[in-house]
Amino acid sequence: MVSRRDFFTGAAAMVGAGLVSRVGAASLPEAPMMDKAATQPPLAPPNGRPYNPVVTLNGWSLPWRMNNGVKEFHLVAEPVVREIAPGMKANLWGYNGQSPGPTIEVVEGDRVRIFVTNKLPEHTSVHWHGQRLPNGMDGVTGLTQPFIPSGKTFVYEFVAKRPGTFMYHPHGDEMVQMAMGMMGFWVTHPKDPGFMKVDRDFVFLLNNFDIEPGSYTPKIATMLEFNLFGFNSRVFPGIDPMVVRQNDRVRIRIGNLTMTNHPIHLHGHEFQVTGTDGGWTNPASRWPEVTTDVAVGQMRAVEFDATDLGDWAFHCHKSHHTMNAMGHGVPTMIGVDHRGVVEKINKLVPDYMVMGERGMGDMVQMEMPIPDNTLPMMGGQGPFGSVEMGGMFTVLKVRKDQKRGDYADPGWYKHPAGTVAYEWKGATPAPARNRSPGGKLMEPTKKPANVELNVRNPSGHDSHH
Amino acid sequence: MGFQEYMPGFRPVVLGIAALALAGCATFSEDGGMNTVSALTTERTGQSIQLAKPGHDTELAEKNVHQLLGKPLTPDTAVQIALLNNKGLQASFAELGIVEADLVAAGWMRNPGFSFGRMRTGNDVEIDRSIMFDLLGLLTIPIRSGIEQRRFEQAKLQAASQAVRLAADTRKAYFNAVAAQQTVQYMGQVGTAAEASAELARRMAQVGNFSKLDQAREQAFYADATAQIARARHNATAAREQLSRLMGVWGDKTAFQLPDRLPDLPKAPDTINDAESQAMQQRLDIQMARRGAESTAQALGLSKASRFINVLDVGYASKSETGAPRGNGYEIALELPIFDWSGAKVAKAEAIYMQSVHRTADIAIRARSEVRESWSAYRTAYDLARHYRDEVVPLRKKISDEMLLRYNGMLASVFELLADARTQIGSVNAAIETQRDYWLAETDLQAAINGSGSGGSSSTQMRTPASGEAAQEH
Ligand SMILES: [Cu+2]
Repeated sequence: MVSRRDFFTGAAAMVGAGLVSRVGAASLPEAPMMDKAATQPPLAPPNGRPYNPVVTLNGWSLPWRMNNGVKEFHLVAEPVVREIAPGMKANLWGYNGQSPGPTIEVVEGDRVRIFVTNKLPEHTSVHWHGQRLPNGMDGVTGLTQPFIPSGKTFVYEFVAKRPGTFMYHPHGDEMVQMAMGMMGFWVTHPKDPGFMKVDRDFVFLLNNFDIEPGSYTPKIATMLEFNLFGFNSRVFPGIDPMVVRQNDRVRIRIGNLTMTNHPIHLHGHEFQVTGTDGGWTNPASRWPEVTTDVAVGQMRAVEFDATDLGDWAFHCHKSHHTMNAMGHGVPTMIGVDHRGVVEKINKLVPDYMVMGERGMGDMVQMEMPIPDNTLPMMGGQGPFGSVEMGGMFTVLKVRKDQKRGDYADPGWYKHPAGTVAYEWKGATPAPARNRSPGGKLMEPTKKPANVELNVRNPSGHDSHH
Repeated sequence: MGFQEYMPGFRPVVLGIAALALAGCATFSEDGGMNTVSALTTERTGQSIQLAKPGHDTELAEKNVHQLLGKPLTPDTAVQIALLNNKGLQASFAELGIVEADLVAAGWMRNPGFSFGRMRTGNDVEIDRSIMFDLLGLLTIPIRSGIEQRRFEQAKLQAASQAVRLAADTRKAYFNAVAAQQTVQYMGQVGTAAEASAELARRMAQVGNFSKLDQAREQAFYADATAQIARARHNATAAREQLSRLMGVWGDKTAFQLPDRLPDLPKAPDTINDAESQAMQQRLDIQMARRGAESTAQALGLSKASRFINVLDVGYASKSETGAPRGNGYEIALELPIFDWSGAKVAKAEAIYMQSVHRTADIAIRARSEVRESWSAYRTAYDLARHYRDEVVPLRKKISDEMLLRYNGMLASVFELLADARTQIGSVNAAIETQRDYWLAETDLQAAINGSGSGGSSSTQMRTPASGEAAQEH
């Protein structure tokens, strides 16, 4: 979890680029850089039309320059080293020092000019996902523009016509560049700052990587077997919490640039999907949800009132997506008696320890050494022990006294007495079990051998090693 | 032929000169040639040899062997025992005695003989009395003595060569036996890994986590490992028996102890300057061939000088093989100069001489080549053994360490961990094989420089050490 001190380093962390020669490109706006992976405070607009800024989870928003009424941004596409979580770094490609790149925030009707400097070893382009713009600004190499060669700067210019939630990503050698982390968030705020106003507006992209344990660079040809699923190129326990004040109206905008859909689930509250890629949903069509599926290439904005105090889990509901790197070919060891075998294995592999005999929770408890630059499959210490999670998992923290605009981590929720699940100390009579085999639709033509499965008590794990 | 006492009282005038010329050399030597053989052997193996004579010395040799067998053997003690105890070698030492006896006998004249015959045809009785005297024998005494002297010299070289060969064979058998024993130990570990896998698989199937297919796979590994262990055990027995044979031990003495490990590699490989010219000086087969050529040269000289004495059919160049008796001998014919065929005889003698010269040159050329080849084998074996020790085994260890980290992170299964352990053990075993090959090559190189070589080139070909799963079948 991010500390209070880390959180306020935003201004200091942003450094001038000096990447583009001032002599050679006197008219080029500066390209600010970010060297921190922590969530930066929202960027209040210093000029131009007013809006309510968003908070990019484990990210930041890109400052701009006004030039004769045009908002000018400068993105630098470049290789970066991104901290995926403390203890693991990845060689990625991103923008302005981070992957994903900074969030671009503009206001409906703004004329926007974006300079894109390519510092990648190969050509690129930027596609402004979901925007209404002139065809030649759509960023599809070959189709709507020549690619941006390595070392060159291209300019995109259009009017941000439609308010809503957008993304940007390359559209040249897209598979490689997105697998390497090239992506960013875009928010076009409504002209009227009072339109669908919320107190807290969180944004992040869903992304996945396949980084072999012990290595640093994603495998770009992976199609399905990703082992790291993240929010903004961070995985739990390296993800910041979403901190809100009780009764705040909260919006969370999620864009999916992974290779699969993610049912995003919030505990303790119902929300409504108020926005999609196409814009704001009709209030009459909204229905309450606690999980919304964000399909590939989609964006969803969900909104709710943070009425209930506490530390509420917020995560993808595909359980493999709330795990970090794990062996998919590992056999199930649950219930396997290891007596006598362990000694034999120990003769050959002295540091071997039995794991998985009761499940995989053992692994978190033992904290044994694992390969370099590899995160445990699950972990994260909460106030009651290990959270046993990884990947796309974070916590919504609802607090009574959280100040308006304060996103600093307030620490663990202090539960009022009698509101935490507790151990039953009374008698535990054997439960009555239904022994009936259940109904059947048709008789099998061939009778299988009579297999009888009985409820099995877990073996006495601690007694033999 | 039987040898009898020399009778000084019988001295016909005609043969007196020849007989006098021989008087000096017709006695047995103190040591029966063993001192020379021992010196030659010690120079090449660092070990002396003894002839087990009936009656004396046997007890001392027994005691020595007993003492040497009391401790775990070293390459040197194994060689020492073989030199003391190998019956084949003792047999070849005995040959030395036979040849010396021939030498002594060659200096003596055969006893005169007396014959009496009685024949009856009808009523006639014919009594035939004669005294026979070995005139030819007396005439050829100097020639025979010279030849026997050279045969004796050859026999000494031969005996030394056999001792040196035995020493080399014993060293190789020793290294093979120790390595085979180490292999058994490592194969046992592979077996343990496979057994643990199979047992775990059985239990997993029992509780429903493994299919019959997966279980059978793990069991198949175990079954293979069991077969490999059986082979390795037999190989160790066979290697040990080879050593037993060479050391000439039987009964209680076969319970000798071997060390657990092969000797370490030396820090640096030997550097041998002018190995080829050393071999030309030192090799016993070359010395034998050279002596053989010299003998033939003398015989040629004799043939030319006398024209009547034929000493052509000399068997010096005859080949001898370990265990088989040597075919060695000669024949002298004395002819009467009625018709002069001697020109042809000289031509034949010259051809035989040239034959022995070429044969000597051939042996020398082969020896040089053998030295170069065994030097290459030696260096390669050293480099390979060091490579396995410093690169392959540490890398395998590193892989195993990384596998364990992956197991810890639940990124790899216990079965992968065990399969990797098997592979790692296989590489350690392969390292032992390269270490053994180094010592074998070192022995072969010494034999190529000092002894009579190792024979064919097949012995120095580099084996591909068994590494990994399909490993241990030698
Ligand atoms: Cu998911």
